[in-house]
Amino acid sequence: MPLNIDWQQILLHLLNFVLLFAILYFLLYKPVKKFMDERTAYYKELDDKANKTLEEAEKYKAEYNEKLAQADEEIAEEKKQAHDEIEKLTGEKIKEAQGEAKKIIEAAHKNTEAEHEKMLKTVHSEITNMVSSAAEKLVSEHSTSKAFDEFLDKAEKGDANE
Amino acid sequence: MDKKKRIIAVAIFAVLAAVLMFGTVVVKSPGHHGSIGELMKDAVLHETNKISLFGLMEVNPGLISAFTVTGVFLVFCLAVRIFVIPRFKRVPGKFQLILETAVGLFDSLAKSNSPHRNKFLGAYLFTAGAYIFVGTIFELFGVQVVTTHGTSMSLPAPLADINGAIMMGFLSYSVILSGGFAENRLKGVGQALKDFSLPVSMSFRIFGALLSGALVTELVYHFIALSYGLPILVAVLFTLLHALIQAYVLTMLTALFYGEVSEPAHEKTKKDKR
Repeated sequence: MPLNIDWQQILLHLLNFVLLFAILYFLLYKPVKKFMDERTAYYKELDDKANKTLEEAEKYKAEYNEKLAQADEEIAEEKKQAHDEIEKLTGEKIKEAQGEAKKIIEAAHKNTEAEHEKMLKTVHSEITNMVSSAAEKLVSEHSTSKAFDEFLDKAEKGDANE
Repeated sequence: MDKKKRIIAVAIFAVLAAVLMFGTVVVKSPGHHGSIGELMKDAVLHETNKISLFGLMEVNPGLISAFTVTGVFLVFCLAVRIFVIPRFKRVPGKFQLILETAVGLFDSLAKSNSPHRNKFLGAYLFTAGAYIFVGTIFELFGVQVVTTHGTSMSLPAPLADINGAIMMGFLSYSVILSGGFAENRLKGVGQALKDFSLPVSMSFRIFGALLSGALVTELVYHFIALSYGLPILVAVLFTLLHALIQAYVLTMLTALFYGEVSEPAHEKTKKDKR
């Protein structure tokens, strides 16, 4: 054959290569690739787990935030209701107090007027008594002018005492 | 290292280099039989220097290199399988990282070029890439063998042998054909057959690339004056570059064509037919 091409040697080269393929595939390529694939699968699993956990955490966070928002709304609503109730109660109490105060003032006015009337009556009778007793004394003990002067003095003293 | 120790080390290195240079001049080489043309012709065709395969037949030195490389792989893989892989950790160490990167590189090459069918392709690319890379670097070690004529020679890269290169090219093409057949049956095979020149181009590309390195090295070592310093460039750097580039080129081409023919056929819609 030209160029020293020898089919027998080509076949021997082929046999050698097939042997080499078997050696490299079973002893090196396959075990190393298997290890690499297992490691990839392991890290993929870890990644999936982490993603799943993250998704769950996000879900819980969203739920928690929603609940928190609801709770805030409920609290605000209750606060408003309580405030309204307090205002209502306070208004009622104030009205009641104002009514009470009005009644007390009216009663006080009535009492004062009654007392005033009573006192005027008492003073009137006292003055009448005093005048009559003074007239009696003047008539009995002194002259008319002296009695008149004494009457005037007593009348002045009585005004000062009141 | 302090200054004194450094000076001593440099002096020892210089003396050793001088002794070796002197030795190469004084100790005469047995010399090459024939002209440089004959030597290079033999490097290409291996018509003269044959190696006995267990006394059964005479073969090219490239075939012995191929078996040796496979033996080295077997020992290495066994050691790795028994002592290293069971101790793999989720956070890889340096050696584990190298192994994972190598496997991952060819696996992702297969997946990116052939997304629909890539399990076998990944394993094939890994084997082919490792074989070309390690086989090419193997020639740097200069493993000596005795030819059938009783002279010694260093083993070349397995794929610097035309038979090895043809095997590699045709096997890669067969893998591409099988991918097409597995996915699209006869239509896939037809698609692959359109690129009938592919196995020949693959074979001779890899053969020419690896052989050129061997020829340049042969040429450099033929003249003693070129044997100082220059081999660092032509032997080491060229071989390393060849190892990387050829491993990449062949695996990339195989993955590309495999992906093309193994792509599931889309049924044409009425609109497309118009």
